[in-house]
Parts: sequence; C-alpha cells; structure tokens
Amino acid sequence: MGTKTMNIAATSRSFVYVLAAGLVVCTASKSASAQEVVVTGPLAGAPAAHRLRLYREGRFEIQPNATFSLLDEFKREIFVGATLNYNLSESFALGVWGSFAVAKMDTALTQHIQDRITARDCPAVTSEADANYLDCRLTKVNLGSKFTNQLGTVDWMAVPQLTFTPFRGKIAFFQSLFVDTDLHFFAGPAFVGLSERKNCSSVETCSASFSTASRTTITGAFGLGLSFFTHKWGALVIDWRAVPFSRNVGGFDTAGSGPNKAFPDNKISSDDRQFRFNQYVSVGYSMFLPFQNRVSE
Amino acid sequence: MNKSRIGLLLVAALSVLPASALAAGKAKAEAKASIGTDSGSEAEASASTNGAGASGEEAGAAGTAAADDNESETPDTGGGLEDICKIDPEACPKIDFDKEAKKPLGEQIFAVQQIYALRVRRFELNPFWSMSLNDQFVGHNGIGLGINFYPFNILGIGVSGTYFNWFNTDSSFNADVRRSARVGVPLTEYDWNASVNLTFVPAYGKFAGFGDFIFQYDAYIVAGGGLISTRPIPVFDPDYRNFSYKVKPSGNVGVGLRIFFYRWMAAILELRDYIYQEELENTHTGGSDPKSGGAMCDGTQGVNHSDAKYWLCEKKLTNAVQAQVGFSFFLPTTFDYRLPK
Repeated sequence: MGTKTMNIAATSRSFVYVLAAGLVVCTASKSASAQEVVVTGPLAGAPAAHRLRLYREGRFEIQPNATFSLLDEFKREIFVGATLNYNLSESFALGVWGSFAVAKMDTALTQHIQDRITARDCPAVTSEADANYLDCRLTKVNLGSKFTNQLGTVDWMAVPQLTFTPFRGKIAFFQSLFVDTDLHFFAGPAFVGLSERKNCSSVETCSASFSTASRTTITGAFGLGLSFFTHKWGALVIDWRAVPFSRNVGGFDTAGSGPNKAFPDNKISSDDRQFRFNQYVSVGYSMFLPFQNRVSE
Repeated sequence: MNKSRIGLLLVAALSVLPASALAAGKAKAEAKASIGTDSGSEAEASASTNGAGASGEEAGAAGTAAADDNESETPDTGGGLEDICKIDPEACPKIDFDKEAKKPLGEQIFAVQQIYALRVRRFELNPFWSMSLNDQFVGHNGIGLGINFYPFNILGIGVSGTYFNWFNTDSSFNADVRRSARVGVPLTEYDWNASVNLTFVPAYGKFAGFGDFIFQYDAYIVAGGGLISTRPIPVFDPDYRNFSYKVKPSGNVGVGLRIFFYRWMAAILELRDYIYQEELENTHTGGSDPKSGGAMCDGTQGVNHSDAKYWLCEKKLTNAVQAQVGFSFFLPTTFDYRLPK
C-alpha cells in the first residue's frame, strides 16, 4: 500500500514537472513573439497610417505602356497601348486597357521546325510508296512551306477593367531611395482580336492553304501590378496579366476525332484550339490628372 | 517649496500657450500644412513602421515643431521667461537662444525606421518548391532547401539544393509537336542541383493593407555557383540509347521577394536562372541495322547504334529559369535592435 502511494505520488510529481516544463516551453515560445507591438491607450484602434498621400482618389490616370507576351511556344509578341482609369477612390478605379501588337518574333522552336521543313523539301505530290517522303505525307495537313505564316497570334486586346488597390506602402532601396509603392489587382471582360489558321475540312483543302484568318473572342482578363510613384503626378507601373482563352497557336490538326476528340481528323477547326493561359507583362508610366495630389487626415 | 510649485504651474501653462498661438498665424499654419504635405510620405513611413504605435512618433514630431515655434515667438509675448526667473531663479532657463539658433539642423530622419526583421547574425532556413518556367516540353519541378547566414543585414552567404528526380514531367505540347510536325526536340531531365550562394538585400518596404494592417517585405538578389546533375531523355533513338546522369558545373542568378508574417517567418517568391552547359542527344539516328545503322553527329552513317560515344553531340548553354515558392524561417527567432525606437 505504502509503495503504491509512493508510486502515485511520484507519478503525480512527474506529471506536475511535465506540466511545468510545458508551461515554460509555452511561455518561452510566447516570449519569442514578444516584440510584436500591442498598442494600448489612446492609440489603440488608431489607423495604421496617417497623412497618406492620396495619389489616386478623384484623379484620372493615363498610362502609355508596352506589353510583352510570356512563355510563347512559336511567336513572341510586343504590344503598344495604354490604360485609362478614373480613380473613384484610393482603392477602386474604373478604366480600360487596350493594346495592339507591333512586333511578332519567331522563337527558336519555330526556326527549328522551319529548318526541318526546308530539309524535307516536300514535293507537291508524294507517292504513298515513297518512304523518303513519309514525313511529308504525315505532315501534309499541318505544315506549309513557310511555317511562320500559319502561326496563331494575338493582334489586339481591349479590356474594360476594375482596378482594386488594397495595399500601399513604401520601398527603400539601399536605405537611401524611398519610393511610395502600391500593389493593385485588376479584372474585367477581355475582347481579343487574333489571327489563326483558317478552317479547312479535308486533306486536300487543308494541305492547299496555310493562311490565317482573323477572329474576335471574348473572355476574361485579370492580373496584378506594382506602381512606383516617382512624382506626385506620375508612377512607373509593372503589371502581370493573364488573358485565358483557347486558340490554335501552331496551326496544327491535333484533335477532332477518336475518343474525346483527342486525335487528329485531317481538318482544321475549333476542335484544334487548346486552352492557354496567355500571360503578359506590361511596363508603363502613369500620369495622374490633376497633377496635385491630396493628403489624408 | 510653494514657489517651485507655482513655477512648475507656470511652465505648464506656458507650454500649453504655444498650441493656441499656432492657430493664430494663418500664413504660418499654411506653411505647416505644406510641410505636412511634403513630409507625408515620411510620416506615413514612420507610422507604418509600427502600426498605430508610430502615430505617436508623428505626434511627437508635431510637438517638436510646436515647441520650435514657441521658442521663436516667446520674445514677442513679452516676459514669459522673465516671469519664471522672477518667481524661481533656479528654474530660469539658461539657454543662449542666438547660439542655439545658429546650430545646424542636420538631424537625420530615417524614412523607414527600425527594419521590421533584421537579418544580421541570423540563420535562414528556406524550404521551397521549384517549377520550371521556360521549358514547354519538360517540366523540371523539384523540392529544395536553402540555408543562409547573414553576417551583415544586407548580405548573406549560404547553400541551396533542389531534388528534381521524382518530379520531372512531360508536357502534352511535346506530344503535339512531335505528332503534328514530326519534329523531335532534344529533351533533358534533372536529378538534383546544389550551389553556394550570396544573397544581397538592397530593398525593403512595407504595405498597408486596406489602411488597416501593415505587412513588411524585402527584395533580394541572389547569385552563386555549384553543380547540376542532368541527362538527356532518349527521343531520337530510344531503342538503343540510354543515358546516365552527369554532374556539370552551373552558375545561378535570381531575384526574390520575401513577405514577412512574423519577424522570424516569411513567404518567398523567387525567380532563379540556373545556367549550365547541357549535352544534347544526337538528332541523327541512321538506319535500322543495329551494327552499322547508327549515325555520327554530322549525320554520317555506319556506326554502331550501341556505341555511346555517338549518342551525344551538341553542347548548348542552357538557362533553366525556375520559379521557387516557399517559406523562410529565421533563427534565432528574436533579435535586438542596436538603437532604441
């Protein structure tokens, strides 16, 4: 009995030690974040920042910008355009972004495929029995003599958009250059004009024409960006934008027959369009009107 | 004793007076407003250094300005200081205002005070997930870890490594191009990489979110050198070719952004370009005869398919641009500032 009581006492003591050790650990871990400031007294509940420069509220924003396509398989594109915004408040703006493609450059892959087309030197008509022209026969629908001419490209984009600016602050470079900065998000419907290989419905018609046709598609666009205010009236802006929609970038027949239409059907049609994220980076300079900004309370 | 009490009351009364005097001069008030406007960003900066607590700094700054105004206006009020001296000579200020006025006002004011998270003499553990950005054919995804030590607040030295082997992926675009154009592109897959890096942190800042809370961030540049283990994926003659991983020297440069949740924890987003010389598969295959149907790098036929010395041809400088997303944990978790706030 006595031994049992002693065991219970020892167990209880151990439990208390473990509990005490746990408390110490918990307390210690709390002291690690003791530097976080808890504001009490008259400043409790006060806004995080006072006397903010109101760069946006009630001002028009005109931003000429250059836009570069990202992660292109066959053609890189450069667009020139502008963003026009009216800032309803410091956080919300209504406006439109529009851009036109001014340069379309072939990627290394496009050049590589063109080199193969040149090396194959496919005749207009090939015999089924001629093994030397196997590649020519199998790519008859997909490759013309000038690969670059059949590639799908975006020609222009127009995006009415709502811009939301929830975050604003400052960045310090080398502890000597301080720049007011904000982080904004935007979204809206997108009207996209693009060139794409013309539809065709048979091997004969498809292998005879590799030209492109224009079409317009409506989708959505969204993105985010940073504004670095260099003046009360101006800011350098860098935006990342996604305009997701389906298109046929290579002018290939990749789908249309078989299970889930996942196999080529010797036709060029909307089935051959593949969903792409279509990402872009814009660099621009925003000018705000009127030139003078206000300051918050 | 009574005299000193009266003296203290008078001093208190005098210190209140300037505040009302400020409102009297319209021109001066406008001047102060414009100063406020110009220094708005600094005020905001100091405020956002420490949330609402920084408002106190601002108030303090305003108080200082008010005191300065008082000093310049005191002689016009006619005898405020003389009264103190009459009542309590010991409390009489012995400041030579002319001398004080000549002192240069070169006080250094930091626009961003007290960096939220100091890095100096701290270790950084940085687990991350890596994704390839510039390869449409093969995805080089991987899991990695970086360990840095910061001898200076703006400069760190460390090591990092990524394990890719389990996470290499083939894209549907690869299959489409091969089927549609019958064009093969030499492909490679990665095993691992490891490098020694220098991290330079030239920029830091903060954002006020919804005008309510503040979070801190910094931006850094990283560069280093190390090793990368890669091998070609057999595309052109897979029946005969089988490649082993080879270790190659590599360099890397990158930029990153760290967003702090706590002074010891941050999320990171980094773009890193790993540069190395890749050996690409021979795109020529030759005929089907295993003994003499292979091809040399220039396409000349007649070599043995299984002769590995003809499997690799072109060496190409490769840029593997990776997006790395992860967390930073700083140790020790606490630190002391050199100067008081």
